[in-house]
Amino acid sequence: MNGRSDTPNKSILAVANALRWEIGEGLHDSVTADLYREAERIAGVVTARSGKGQRLDLDRILDRILTSRAFGFPTMFLLLALVFWLTIEGANVPSALLSTLLVDQGHPFLKSLSAAFGVPWWVSGPLVDGTYLAMAWVVSVMLPPMAIFFPLFTLLEDFGYLPRVAFNLDFLFRKAGAHGKQALTMAMGYGCNAAGIVSTRIIDSPRERLIAILTNNFALCNGRWPTQILIASIFIGVLAPPYLAGAVSALAVVAVVLLGIAFTFLVSWMLSRTILRGTASTFSLELPPYRPPRILHTLYTSLIDRTLIVLWRAVVWAAPAGLVIWLVSNISIGGVSLAAHVVQSLDPLGLLIGLNGIILLAYVIAIPANEIVIPTLLMLTVLFHGIADVGTGAGVLFELDSPAAVADLLHAGGWTLLTGINLMLFSLLHNPCSTTLYTIYRETGSVKWTLLSALIPLVIGFTVCFFVAQVWRIVVGV
Amino acid sequence: MPDPLLALSIGIGVMGAAAYVLWPRSGLIARFQQGFLRAKRVLMEDALKHLYDFEYRNLSSTLESIAGALGINGDEAAALVTRLETLGLIVRRQADLGLTAAGRSYALRIVRIHRLWERYLADETNVSEPDWHREAERREHYMTGEETERLSKYLGNPLYDPHGDPIPTSFGTLPGPRGTSLASLEEGRSATVVHVEDEPSSIYAQLVAQNIYPGLLVRTIEKSSKRIVLEAGGNDIVLAPVVAANVSVVPHEQRIREDRLHRTLGDLRPGESARVVGIAPACKGLQRRRLMDLGIVPGTTIVAELESVGGDPVAFRIQEASVALRRQQANFVFVEEISSGGNV
Repeated sequence: MNGRSDTPNKSILAVANALRWEIGEGLHDSVTADLYREAERIAGVVTARSGKGQRLDLDRILDRILTSRAFGFPTMFLLLALVFWLTIEGANVPSALLSTLLVDQGHPFLKSLSAAFGVPWWVSGPLVDGTYLAMAWVVSVMLPPMAIFFPLFTLLEDFGYLPRVAFNLDFLFRKAGAHGKQALTMAMGYGCNAAGIVSTRIIDSPRERLIAILTNNFALCNGRWPTQILIASIFIGVLAPPYLAGAVSALAVVAVVLLGIAFTFLVSWMLSRTILRGTASTFSLELPPYRPPRILHTLYTSLIDRTLIVLWRAVVWAAPAGLVIWLVSNISIGGVSLAAHVVQSLDPLGLLIGLNGIILLAYVIAIPANEIVIPTLLMLTVLFHGIADVGTGAGVLFELDSPAAVADLLHAGGWTLLTGINLMLFSLLHNPCSTTLYTIYRETGSVKWTLLSALIPLVIGFTVCFFVAQVWRIVVGV
Repeated sequence: MPDPLLALSIGIGVMGAAAYVLWPRSGLIARFQQGFLRAKRVLMEDALKHLYDFEYRNLSSTLESIAGALGINGDEAAALVTRLETLGLIVRRQADLGLTAAGRSYALRIVRIHRLWERYLADETNVSEPDWHREAERREHYMTGEETERLSKYLGNPLYDPHGDPIPTSFGTLPGPRGTSLASLEEGRSATVVHVEDEPSSIYAQLVAQNIYPGLLVRTIEKSSKRIVLEAGGNDIVLAPVVAANVSVVPHEQRIREDRLHRTLGDLRPGESARVVGIAPACKGLQRRRLMDLGIVPGTTIVAELESVGGDPVAFRIQEASVALRRQQANFVFVEEISSGGNV
């Protein structure tokens, strides 16, 4: 060590620089190639191979069928339809059970319990009527479909089928500047957008991943399906003769879903050509070998990793929402409830775009969870229009037994066919719920992308509703 | 509630106004950004760059050439030159304008930032090739010295910009000429063209006419004192040795066949196999790294396995894994020894 060791030696630097020129620019390439040669050599020495792989042949036969022109798409539609059918049908019974247990029995039980202990109404109101009820609602609506949908989806993934779906659909997404794997994150979004956002981790290209995150909300999530189905049967199904009502309202929901897919492609296309034009992008899609799904393992991981985490976040967000719902309905300023003040100021805007102030307020306080939009709407309509004999008090969520009763209530609240159609549109095209937004923030680490993912669908929603309303009024006249 | 017809027209009006403001490249915001490029400092820097460029190419720059290069009129150019002169950055000579030492160092700093940015855009982003220059033109004026060094370090202190031009170092020095003369390349050896000398212009014109440009892969197939015959891009090119002396090349260590074959992974039919020769230079940055990480390196044997429903992407068996690539990527990978032997 001499005294000059802390100052860079000029001559060494000069030699290093000269060497850099000599090595040139293909350094990374040749290092990688050498690494692979060495890895192959080692693998060749230490790996023992046992004859011809039988499974590989089976894989090839399966691949030939599943990616063939004749069977590729039909198989895909059948399998996805089966997953959705199982989810919707299978969730009915446990949902009703949970609802009976948590809402119909749990809520009165807690009310009477707090009454028995002499808890004042201003404590039991916000806690039991507000917080508890919203949480119970979210759990009973959300848990069963997710507990069925996610394991089924994970089974398909585990089997190795889902990468083949991405493989087959990539040509569509490529045209929109997106990645074929976005088909999978979209499908996951039909279960829950927050889970859909998390699943975009499978897309390793930065640009395509952001596109998938920003457009996931156009996949109608499980919290919005019930709204769509209810409104479609109340407002659109009744237009058809009774024996066709079911089919017509189902078609209306399918139309909304297709509209969502159209917006996914449109917005992906626009994003990849404007703000994300310069973001780095690459494509590769591994097609893992097929393997028998490990059912127990799948059940465990999908319940823990997807269902419970998403449910927990939803509950955490729903609790304060319930509180807010109770508070805006019960705090009065100048003899009029806070909710009424807000509804009155939102009404002009709401009516202009073919909705109303109550719907807008419901969507503001239901930001934490789309599941409570309908109960919030019903409660606010009763509260605001002073309809007697329905509901159980200000700020207390409720649901009616039959769609017909809901229809009567909503018609009394001044709803028209336009309101119904626009509510379906707005339910598809509005900001993601707070759970999803928080997930987007966690995944992107950026306030900008989080804000954008809320603003894009919201602006589209307001624009679409506005134009539909004006054209409707000109054509139909009401 | 307002009259729906009125509301509809207002709505359409608002949409139109929003499009007018936000439209990419031609909207108000985009034009506002372009307006900044006409700011005084930006013009000064562009003028210095122009002078440096002409000096490098041994051309003489004048008021007219500045006005032409910057898209301003003669009066503006005169004012600009006067300003640069009072700042001591340029000097007027009898016939033309020249850079002072301070002016040259300033110009080199801007050139450095410009080429670094082009390198960054080419390697790390998806900005398309025609946009590199435009984007770098915009950004070169807004970088502090510290930011420039950070960018250079992030890129691994690159030596050349994606067009093959050397990037000036932070001390303002340019690397010396690289490669050896094409005239000295042994017969049968292949090489990459790295530089084409543009002086004297008669020889340069000849080289341009023969379609010789930096990045081209060539191989000498015949060499005598009278002429040099090259094979490049599938054609034979005949050059006089004195002309060939003006082309610098870097000889290859191994024989490269991609110049002749031009067969790519994209040409493989399902069931066919081939050996990788290399990845096209046009495939850069993340895209290139990804392909190499998948095991697409020279010497690897790849089998085309199956096409998707739409025919694109195609799944390939690479290093015993099945990986789907889009046709656009597969076309980047040069291959040889295509065989239909189904040793999948």
